[in-house]
Amino acid sequence: MKRKIVRTIALGIFALAVVLGAAWQAHAQDAKTPYPSIAPLDQYLMDRDAEIAMARSAAPEAISRDAEVLVLGRHGYETAVKGKNGFVCVVERGWMSPFDGDFTANFWNPKLRGPLCFNPQAARSILPMTYKRTEMVLAGQSKAQIFEGMKAYVKQGLPPLEPGAMSYMMSKEQYLSDNGQHNWMAHLMFYTPFIDSSAWGADVPLTPVMLNPQFHGHPEPIDVFMVPAGWWSDGTVDPVKPD
Amino acid sequence: MKRRIIGTIAKSFALVVVLSATLQAHTQDDKATLYERMAPIDQYLMADRNAEIAFARTAAPESISRDAEVWVLGRHGYEIAAKGKNGFVCIVERSWMAPFDDPEFLNPDQRLPLCLNPPAARTHLPLTFKTTELAMAGLSKTQMSDSIKAAFDKKELPVPEAGSMCYMMSKQQYFGRKYGNADSHLMFWFPKTDDMFWGAGLPGSPVYVHQYSPQPITEFIISVSKWSDGTPVPTD
Repeated sequence: MKRKIVRTIALGIFALAVVLGAAWQAHAQDAKTPYPSIAPLDQYLMDRDAEIAMARSAAPEAISRDAEVLVLGRHGYETAVKGKNGFVCVVERGWMSPFDGDFTANFWNPKLRGPLCFNPQAARSILPMTYKRTEMVLAGQSKAQIFEGMKAYVKQGLPPLEPGAMSYMMSKEQYLSDNGQHNWMAHLMFYTPFIDSSAWGADVPLTPVMLNPQFHGHPEPIDVFMVPAGWWSDGTVDPVKPD
Repeated sequence: MKRRIIGTIAKSFALVVVLSATLQAHTQDDKATLYERMAPIDQYLMADRNAEIAFARTAAPESISRDAEVWVLGRHGYEIAAKGKNGFVCIVERSWMAPFDDPEFLNPDQRLPLCLNPPAARTHLPLTFKTTELAMAGLSKTQMSDSIKAAFDKKELPVPEAGSMCYMMSKQQYFGRKYGNADSHLMFWFPKTDDMFWGAGLPGSPVYVHQYSPQPITEFIISVSKWSDGTPVPTD
């Protein structure tokens, strides 16, 4: 009888430990990846007029007022406003984040809003990647499937990168992270072939040039260099973050 | 008596007018001709070679420029002064790299340190060397301009390679009497294109543009908030 009681207690403690351990592990994973999979689609969508205004806020009005504007619908991005100057403004979502590394945590974050205005060269050669990833997201694919899909797209359908491709990302309303200051920094982005980041002197002490972890050969063969703009698109000062 | 006083005043006034006119003409003459001709070559050189090397390196943060190749200006053109390891090239350009219509085109006091990234070192430096060679040979601005144009037409000079950029973040840079040390900035070079390519020069845009002529080059300029030593650039 005594042996039976001990055995019952031991099993009970073991079971409790397993359950608690599993619960703790799950909690730790949740903390690490708060957005492990896609949220309901509605959470990624916006009021159409608000999305147009947010997209335009990526660049100074002198540029964005004549730009084409795209908005995200249930079946992908659609043209909401025709443009005249070749620039295209769009609010990107979390799935334009890197597929791996620290910044992949926002891949499925439904709150993420990344307004950009692409210059004509970037509209032709970078924006297609936004379309392609979004198409696969809306088709219900997993992150791993989207990664594989992009690998295939890079081999078969990716337009060549045009020299001078760049974009404005100067919206004060940008939401790029749940942590700290959501609107990270008013900046410009410059697209190059996937190269050694030292070619632009990025990410070394005191340089104003930063390498964006987006793309970077995983799998898109593009590097994105960023330079602080110093002010938001509405003209208010954006104090550049300390080194 | 009264007439004599008035006459004296009138003569004095006339003298003032004459003196004033002379002074004005002299000033205008100074402005018009101050940098029209090449000054003695010594005025463009830096006496201390090591000072020029150090000065060239101030164009970029030390983390970039310490491993860069450095060129200095000698009596017969630029010469290599320090070998590099990272593909960047630092150099102090002189006034003749300014636009041909710049009134300070031959101002011997101008000192413009740049650190060029590898694509720019391959395709912008040949222009610097060629222009310097022509200036030091004593050619007129018109002759220099014609020669540069011919060199591009014959493809003896390359257009900027994709990704060409440079750092111009030296606190000690001197653009001449009008702009002083201007501001800390990055420059990006392209084969000639229109301003709108990067939305340059529009209200609120942080991108500025300089269209070279006769060189088929467009230069986009983005100011940054700190000098290469990390100190902030005054905002006024």
